[in-house]
Amino acid sequence: MRFLAILRKELRECLPWIVLATAVLFVFGYVELFERTIPQNIDYRYRLFSPSNDVYPFDLTKRSLLAGMGQLLLVVSIGLGLAMGIRQFWVDHYAGTWGFTVHRSVNREKILSAKLTAAAIGFVVSIGAIWCLLFLYASKAPNFYVPPAKRIFFEGWVYIVSGLVVYSAAALAGLSTVRWYTTKIFGLAFAAIVLFVMVFQWRLSYAFLALLVGIFVLVVQITQTFLNREF
Amino acid sequence: MTETVLESQSLTKYFGKTVAVDHLNLEIPRGCICGFVGRNGAGKTTAIKLMLGLLKPTIGSSKLLGCDSMALTPVIRQRIGYVTEGHRLFRWMSIGRLEKFQRAFFQKQWDERLFADMLEYFGLSKKQKIKHLSNGQRAQVSLALALAPNPELLIMDDPTLGLDAAIRRQFLAGMIELIMREGRTALFSSHILGDVERVSDRIVVIDKGRLRANCTLEQFRNSVKKVKVAFADRAPTEFEIEGLLNCRRSEKELELVLIGTDSNRINEWAKTVGAEKYQIVQMNLEDQFIEYTAPASKGKLFRWEEI
Repeated sequence: MRFLAILRKELRECLPWIVLATAVLFVFGYVELFERTIPQNIDYRYRLFSPSNDVYPFDLTKRSLLAGMGQLLLVVSIGLGLAMGIRQFWVDHYAGTWGFTVHRSVNREKILSAKLTAAAIGFVVSIGAIWCLLFLYASKAPNFYVPPAKRIFFEGWVYIVSGLVVYSAAALAGLSTVRWYTTKIFGLAFAAIVLFVMVFQWRLSYAFLALLVGIFVLVVQITQTFLNREF
Repeated sequence: MTETVLESQSLTKYFGKTVAVDHLNLEIPRGCICGFVGRNGAGKTTAIKLMLGLLKPTIGSSKLLGCDSMALTPVIRQRIGYVTEGHRLFRWMSIGRLEKFQRAFFQKQWDERLFADMLEYFGLSKKQKIKHLSNGQRAQVSLALALAPNPELLIMDDPTLGLDAAIRRQFLAGMIELIMREGRTALFSSHILGDVERVSDRIVVIDKGRLRANCTLEQFRNSVKKVKVAFADRAPTEFEIEGLLNCRRSEKELELVLIGTDSNRINEWAKTVGAEKYQIVQMNLEDQFIEYTAPASKGKLFRWEEI
């Protein structure tokens, strides 16, 4: 009950950003897919895969309709991560509501877990769900000449999880009370390194692993900081 | 034996090299309304946050309802109401939504009727958004939220700060009404001494982080005295009197601030130093507080003693 009360509050506070991310991804994603279904683009694609050209299986996946969505997903995901991290951990600080948030009949672990759960839910129901819908649409639509490979679906999830790394970094920076040029910047610098490592992974599993390790390190830091911080 | 609801031992907090609270030893008995007073920057908010476990002490410890402040369990916190300084509430919520949120943490304790009555008393509606409320109205909502769970101990950090006189009175009346219930204890910080005088039965004075007084209001009122002593010739430059806190000297007059010195002693002393006449000046609590916490002047005439 108490956990749910905090979770509801956190979701409501992040709702504008969740809705914005959903709308941006849905609109731009749909336009991207719709653009590929208009005749001239289809013709172009057919010419690309004409009998005179050699087609490799790798091309089939790389040139899928959804391949161009990666950048959009990454940008929206990072944007949402940053916005939610700031909303949950910076605004309380500047509005001076930490005391009101923390002094209640619930332990700090529960307050933190409600915040992190709200962020995870926010990502899944906004970007995650839209990504699944777009993938499904691209797989089923009759006009598309090459259905997207499963790899692209998982690539999309790598980009979505990237947003959680940025969220964790923003949260850690928001919780830290030290100066910017000292360890307050640690979370954001670490997230940048993790994203850099992720981008240069050839295998999806390695990219996932890099992100998960990054999230784990940041969440451990967040937990320690939140439990020990003076509000 | 009187039960203590709040106690601290050598509670100290440093921010860098600055000491905010300095070896605070405090005991607050159950069932009192305690005014926690001090000048700006005296360490009131820091002390309250230390007691609530929101800040970690550099040295020392404190206990609320018998539980160490740094290990307050959810069950203990449920018994403590806290009104934060500036009444910082979630601005996007309506009063009704805030009530629902707050009620989730006090399942059986929450007195819905009391909350509704308080809103009615203050002329507020559950539909009003926090961000649209004035400072005074937010203070009223804060008080209603803190009192609706019927806390055993209510701690308020400068609850009347920024409120006009009428709202302050209404706020304090609402507070007293609730605190009068059996066994309730309230500690509220303030630098509006009129408020403290009106509602408190106990006073804690803190100055530069140090405890200066912890006694009943009556004791404090009776202890701090200002005496004007006139001399036919020049006023003496050196003298001794029990409980001398501060002294101002003009050519033929001394103005003494005394602590705990009874009238007979003053009379005897006046004869000893050859005073022409003396007069004990009536002071209100604010005057007493100002005199009591006035920076100590240097020189051998000036000294202070704890009550």
